[in-house]
Order: sequence, then structure tokens, then C-alpha cells
Amino acid sequence: MSADEKALPPPVPFLRAARAVFDLSLEEMVWSRKSLVMAGLLLMPVALAVLFRLVANLKHAPAGIDLYGLVVAMYYLRNALPLAALFFATALIADEVEGRTITYLLSRPVSRASILCGKFAAYVVTTLTLTLPGIVVCFFLLVTLRGFSGVAAFVPDLLRDLAVAALALCAYGALFTLLGVLLKRPTIPGLVFLVGWESLANLPGWLPRYTVTAWVRSLISHRPVDEGLAELFQTTLPAGEAVVVLVAITILGLAGAYGIFSRRQFVLDQ
Amino acid sequence: MTRSRLVVTASFAVVSLGIAVALGALVLDPARAAVGPMPGEGLALPAGTRFVVGVDVARFTASPMYQKHAKKADVTPEAFAELEEKTGLRPDRDIDQILIAGAPPSANGPERGVVLVFGRFDRYKISRAIETEAGEGEKKKDVSWKTVEGFTVYLFGEGKGKPGALSFLDDDTLVLGPLASVEEVIANRNGSRKGLAENAELVRLLGTVKPGSTFWMVGDQTLLSRMPSNVPSPMGGGQMTLPALQSLVVTGDLDPEIAMHVTGEARDEAAARQLADVVRGLTALIQLQGGQNPALQSLATAFSVNQEGAKVHLNARLPYELLDQLKALGEKRKATSESADKTE
Repeated sequence: MSADEKALPPPVPFLRAARAVFDLSLEEMVWSRKSLVMAGLLLMPVALAVLFRLVANLKHAPAGIDLYGLVVAMYYLRNALPLAALFFATALIADEVEGRTITYLLSRPVSRASILCGKFAAYVVTTLTLTLPGIVVCFFLLVTLRGFSGVAAFVPDLLRDLAVAALALCAYGALFTLLGVLLKRPTIPGLVFLVGWESLANLPGWLPRYTVTAWVRSLISHRPVDEGLAELFQTTLPAGEAVVVLVAITILGLAGAYGIFSRRQFVLDQ
Repeated sequence: MTRSRLVVTASFAVVSLGIAVALGALVLDPARAAVGPMPGEGLALPAGTRFVVGVDVARFTASPMYQKHAKKADVTPEAFAELEEKTGLRPDRDIDQILIAGAPPSANGPERGVVLVFGRFDRYKISRAIETEAGEGEKKKDVSWKTVEGFTVYLFGEGKGKPGALSFLDDDTLVLGPLASVEEVIANRNGSRKGLAENAELVRLLGTVKPGSTFWMVGDQTLLSRMPSNVPSPMGGGQMTLPALQSLVVTGDLDPEIAMHVTGEARDEAAARQLADVVRGLTALIQLQGGQNPALQSLATAFSVNQEGAKVHLNARLPYELLDQLKALGEKRKATSESADKTE
């Protein structure tokens, strides 16, 4: 063993290192301008639901569960959650590179796997923090439009929606983490993926199976009326298969991201 | 605790509280004995029931459809005044829910049906009104009563062979229907028989219906086997065969527009796909035939079809304005064809 190698501190164990990165990243992520914007986006349905309860003629309002289903299926799962995942997950490594702070992380005696895992865990906690309260509050505001009785019947839907939202954030997050380590500027390709590729979910045949959104949509029980192609070819995939696929996307996305991140040399611009 | 930790903790506290309240509602809700949208008392329906229809009267009477047609048909509070004076009952105010259950005629017996009405009844006034009716002139023999397992059952038209019957199951529940069905409901209510709980298939279907709709319906295979399997092809030239349905579940609302969700279960995925394709074909045809007519175009887009394994979901949202437009269109076409006939 050379004198230089002797001088190196021993590597920090994986879990301890990941926890340290998680703590650091959580501080940066939760209390940031980006989180404020995302909180606005993810909590907007709550504001609208409050407004609806104050302004709308509840006697003539549609069934509360239908409105809640619309919010979850159309707003959260199809739009807001993928967008939140895109903006947070692509930035996990890309922001460190852009801010030239990646050197500080990589020069510590921590493995790259622990950096990635710690950052991804911070992303999951941040997005869940911003998303789940919105869904819960919307549920109670909208489903109780005509009183609290009968709420019990929809509780399984709420629990399912929370679980699906978490799974969707993990799957999209892993995919966008991969994109974040793969590309220098991943936001535009990510948006193209969400707007373009994910539209395949509205086409007939096997094409929806190649999208994330079709699997996510299949897991919830709300089926609001669609328009256009989605109306004609709306397909629902088997729920069991959907869980397996989303978990697989999460694992493969993270594995792919680690594969690239662990080999990549980061040369910072001067 | 840092600011970020505080935000995370607060957020998870909100979620935990929400879940705790939701689970509390699930455990403590007195309606948990209910099956889907059907109150627990509905389990007294006959075991041989093949379809159940439910109507939430409060929602129905609050809907624009009722408001519009009630005025036309003079079903106003004033029109109920006589009934209210006689029986103390004003249907739009006192009735909460109606359950209609039935079975098609079989080799063993005729068509059966029974109606359960839930609400607030003045038993004394209603009973008095029925008994007074029995004693009036020509109608004297039309109404009689007897006791079945401790319940007073009023019989209407006993001399005509198939008497209709009415009985109070309790202060809030009324049962109406043929005598045999009413007697069966009373026996089920008393626990002599298990009633609808024995009908596992229908109970399963009821469990899939979400409460909160203005109206709903579930029907099993026996009911659906009587529906025509061959229908005229929308493209003309012959007929096409529809795959048989194993079950049908319908839920709907009338406010602020007519919204319906129909779930049909076919025998397998291929049959469901065929059925979904037929419905899609029909909506596409309406869209094509609609041409530049915005009403027909809107009608075609009001429906959406979705297949999920062996199930086909049909969603429909029909605004009242669209129905008015379609009605006007139909009248216009009728008038055109009549004037064309006259010209010929």
C-alpha cells in the first residue's frame, strides 16, 4: 500500500453516506424556489376545490366523487405529477453539474451509488410532501360536497390514489433521473417525452403499453370521459401487470442512471 | 428542526390525519352494512332477484330534468297536497330512496317484482287512508288486509287473482309488490330466510356500484339473456350479433347534466373487445352522419368507450341543451318528411 493510499480516509458505509446525501438534498429541495412553484402547481386543485365549495351551487353540483376522480385522473396523474418528476428528478445530478458543486460530492469518500440513492430518496420525499396533502384535502373537500355520510365507500379509492401517486412519482422520477445523468440539458427532451411519447397511450393496440401513463392510469378506478383519440381508444391495462411494470421502470431507470453516473467523468467548464 | 424538516413533517401529519379520518369513517360509518349503494334493509329482497334498480329521490327531485318535467306534468307541491292531506306523505319531501327488484318470468313462475321505499312515513295516517278506502262504496272489496309473520299486509284487488300488496317493514321502510314477493321480503326481514344475501352474484355486482349516484342498476346474466343478441347493423344490410353479457351495472346522475356510466361484463376479453368495437363503431357512425350538424357531433363525442379485460365501460355525458337540440332536430326532420309526403 502506497503512502498516498494510506492517507485516504476509509469510505463511508453506503447507508450512512446515502443518509447524509439525503439530508443535504432534502434541505436544498424542500425549501427552494422550484419547490414553491411546484407546490403552487400541486396544491392548485385544493384552492379550486375550496373556491368551488364557496361559490358553486352545491345542490346542482355533480357528484363529489366524480369531481375528485377528475382531479386525480386528469390533473395529478396525467399532468402535474409527471411535470413535478421532470423538474425535480432531471435536476438531481444536472443541477450539481451546472452549479459546479458535483466536485464537492465526488471528492468525498462516498460511493456514487449512495449519492444517487440519497438524492433520489430526497426527491421522493419532497414530491410526496408536495403532492399527497393536496390529494387528501381535495378528497375531503369534494367528496363531502353533500355531507360526510357515504364517505366511507370512497375511502378505498383515496388509499389507492395515494399509492398510485407515489408509484407514479417513483417511476417517472427514475426515468427522469436517467435522463438527467444521460443528457446535459434534459428538461426539453423530458417535456417532449411527456407531451409526445406519452400521447401514444391514447392510441389503439399495443402502443399504450410502451408509455408510463397508460400503466399509471390503469391503476386508478376513476374513468373520466375523454376527448379525441383517448375517447375512441381508451384502454385499461391489467392492474397487477401495471404495478410490476411501474416497479420495473423504477428499478431499471435507477440502475441505468447509476450505470451512467458511476462511469461518467465530469469535466467542468472553466 | 430545520425548515425543510418542518414542512415534511407537517405534510405527512396532514396525510396521516386524512388517512386516519378516512379509515375511521370506514370503520364507524353506520352504512357499512349496506352493499354498495343499497341500504342494509335491501338484503331483505328475494334471493331470486335478478336485477335491482335504485333511485335517490332527493337527488332526482333536485335535478333540472325533474324540475322541467314536473312543471309540465303538474307534479308540483300543490299537486301532492291531496295525497299529503290524506296520508301525510309528500313524495318529493318524504321519500329518500326507492329500490326496485325483480326477476324475469321463469319456467317455475311468473315475472316477479318488488319495490322497497325508504323515507319518513306517517304509518297511522297511511294505514287509516288505506283502511278507509276499503270501506267506501264500490271499492269496498278492493282492499283487504291480513297479518303475515306479525306484519299487517294490505291486499289490493284480492278477488282478481294476483293481488298487489303493501306493508310497512318499519317506520321508515315500505314494501310494495305482488303478495308472494311481499311475503318473501317479510320472511327475509324476520330472518326466516337469508334473502338477497344468498344471491352471491348480485351481491358482488352491488358491491361494485359506488354510492352517491342519482340512479343505478345491476342485472345478472339471467336478465340479460332476454335481451336481443342480434341487432340491425348500423351500416345497413343485415344484422350483427352482439356478444352475450354476463352482467350489467349502470350508474347515473342528472345534475348538472345527464351522466351515465355503464359497465358490461362479457364472457371473455375477446367478446368484450368485440362489444367495445361495436359501440365505438356506432359513435363513429353518428359522428360521420352528423356532418356539419353540431348537435349530432356533440352527441357522438358525448360517449366514450373503454375496455378493461372482459369488461366494457361506456361513459356518457349529455348536457340538457344537447337533448333540447336533438329534440328540435328530430321535430324538424319529422316536419320535413311530412311536408315531402304531402308534396308527393
